[in-house]
Amino acid sequence: MKGISMSAIASVAYKEFLHIYRDRRVLLLLLILPPLFTLLFGHAFENTQLTDVPALLIDRDDTPRTARFIDIISKDKTFQWKRRASGFNRDSDLLANGVKASLVIPAGWSDSLSNGDPKPLPLYLDGSDTNTAATVEGVVQQDLANFQAKERDLIVESLPDEVIELGKKLPINIRKEFVSLMSAWGVETKNLYNPKSRFIDYVVPGIIGLILQLLTVTLMACTIARERESGTLYQLMVTSLKRGEIVLGKVLPYLAVSVVLILVVSLVTWLHFQVAFYQPAVLGLVCLLFLLCSLGLGLLISAFSRTQTQAIQFSVFFLLPVFVLSGAFAPLDQLPDTIGYISELFPLTHFCRAFRLVNMYHAGPSFYAVDLMVLLAGAVVTFLGAAFLLKRIEE
Amino acid sequence: MSEPVIVLRDLSKNFGDVHAVQDVSFAITPGTIFGFLGANGAGKTTTIRMLCGLTRPSRGTATIAGKDVWKDRHLVRTKFGYVAQRFSLYPDLTVVENLRFFGGACRVPRTELDGQIERLLALTDLPGKRDVAAGSLSGGMRQLLALGCALVHDPPLLFLDEPTSGLDPVHRQQIWNLLYDLASAGKTIFVTTHYMDEAERCTELGFLDRGRLLAMAPARELKASFKTRLLEIEAEPLMPALVQLRNVPGVLGVALRSGRLRLYAAAPEQLLERWRQKWPFSDIKLLGERWVEPDMEDVFTAYSQGYTTLLKGESR
Repeated sequence: MKGISMSAIASVAYKEFLHIYRDRRVLLLLLILPPLFTLLFGHAFENTQLTDVPALLIDRDDTPRTARFIDIISKDKTFQWKRRASGFNRDSDLLANGVKASLVIPAGWSDSLSNGDPKPLPLYLDGSDTNTAATVEGVVQQDLANFQAKERDLIVESLPDEVIELGKKLPINIRKEFVSLMSAWGVETKNLYNPKSRFIDYVVPGIIGLILQLLTVTLMACTIARERESGTLYQLMVTSLKRGEIVLGKVLPYLAVSVVLILVVSLVTWLHFQVAFYQPAVLGLVCLLFLLCSLGLGLLISAFSRTQTQAIQFSVFFLLPVFVLSGAFAPLDQLPDTIGYISELFPLTHFCRAFRLVNMYHAGPSFYAVDLMVLLAGAVVTFLGAAFLLKRIEE
Repeated sequence: MSEPVIVLRDLSKNFGDVHAVQDVSFAITPGTIFGFLGANGAGKTTTIRMLCGLTRPSRGTATIAGKDVWKDRHLVRTKFGYVAQRFSLYPDLTVVENLRFFGGACRVPRTELDGQIERLLALTDLPGKRDVAAGSLSGGMRQLLALGCALVHDPPLLFLDEPTSGLDPVHRQQIWNLLYDLASAGKTIFVTTHYMDEAERCTELGFLDRGRLLAMAPARELKASFKTRLLEIEAEPLMPALVQLRNVPGVLGVALRSGRLRLYAAAPEQLLERWRQKWPFSDIKLLGERWVEPDMEDVFTAYSQGYTTLLKGESR
């Protein structure tokens, strides 16, 4: 744009900065909320291991064998077991018992194991919480497998000597095969990209992005709408200011504030949660592009709204799906394709993906170049859109 | 006479089917205090906004210092200052911060800005309030500050949209004195008002009614456009008299002025002649009558109520 004057931009930027500085309540909010949110979200998502799930255990068989099983399952930290007497008959009433699961050992279970006809153990799960239900089922299954292995070892130990002697007569390869079959087969897991298996490392871009998205969009959205509401926009328009100067002058102070916020949030995650930042310069670029895109969106909403109230309402309507669908706190892989495409429209999605590719995967630029391009394009489109809408207000 | 600074040619603005301003044409010479009169909704603000390049004219053109107010609006903007009807400064910024911001926005060179701000503070009598937030100022001081902000780039022309509405007489006087000073320094003042005593202070007046320019002339000429002097009567009881006289054939309107009833009628002499022979209202006493010269309020009433039979034909 021709004839843009730096000192004119500086005038607008200084005025806008004064607005932020004079509004002490919002300033306080800006200073306190981001670190507070970081601590809050950080701790909320710190531990994804399911522990102390309240569960009910009813042993109607009450044999030494069930005692051995209960010993194993009681040591499992996943559960916080409540024991009920065998006469208790509200097995499936999870809500009334205040538990998420209920495991019943039916009478005659030990006998069924001895008689070569193992009965399944009834396990009632709270299906409303699908994640917990699936995890609990897996854990109980695992505990049962452990129990089975131990029981097998006991039987092998107590085999009469003749059987052992008989076994020694078997060919060596069959004996080896048999030993192998008797031990548990497993996988050796190596967690790549997140060696410490900490969810906090995954969720950091979500926290940074969420806070920035929330503050930048809503604050920015109010700026032009406020001028429009108070009539000062017309006063601005009869000055020699060009649209580009107004837009740039309004964005700069918020950009500066946002950069400070990023630093504060990063500092908190680094010092408090020991999150390491890989290639800070690249992460900075990712943040900058995301910020420009968010500020542009705020500006667009701002130029579109007639009053501050409208601006806030539009911001909330925009931010709500962003928070749910952008993958800030959970991987996007579970989303159906169509909704996945929608989530690609949100800058937060690309920010989180690019940030993780750099910080967790230590990936090369070719992996996240597309996300950066999308953010850049978003910034350009929203800024041009806002300038266009401003031109329409002018006419 | 020097070249006109503002020229309007058939300037019109429609909002959908509403004709806010229709074919308004006039010219204003430099140094004039032009009073733009009209009822609320007559189109005064729309006209000013078109002249300031804030609203696109639907038809017609207007120029300021030879430049088109719409096509060249970015050039024209250095030529005028604008004080809007609503308070439209930043309430959270101090007096000096407002002046400084508008100075920067109007590209006043940095080296001159400090001196200019001091001059404007002195001019608007606000040096003691320099670090007070604009939102905490009284209505009059806000308006003075708005005037200061509009003058920050020392424009030759000033638009003021009802600058004194809602102000106390002291501040009104102060603002008008300021306008006189500016006009005597060669600036052109374009001011809308519906205070008639303010209309008297203007060197030139325009009457706008439902988007049309009804008259455009110096104040004295407008008052002279009445065909006759006006009849004022004293009557008792006053209010019933006002109501009944309104319905007399030949009476266009009745205004209450300082306890007397001022009649707008095409042929007041004949009315008075008839009443002298026979006073038609048994329950009202006629105490006296006199003839008065029309004032600006009468002119405004006649033009805005359409009492064209009282006027010598619309001037210019």
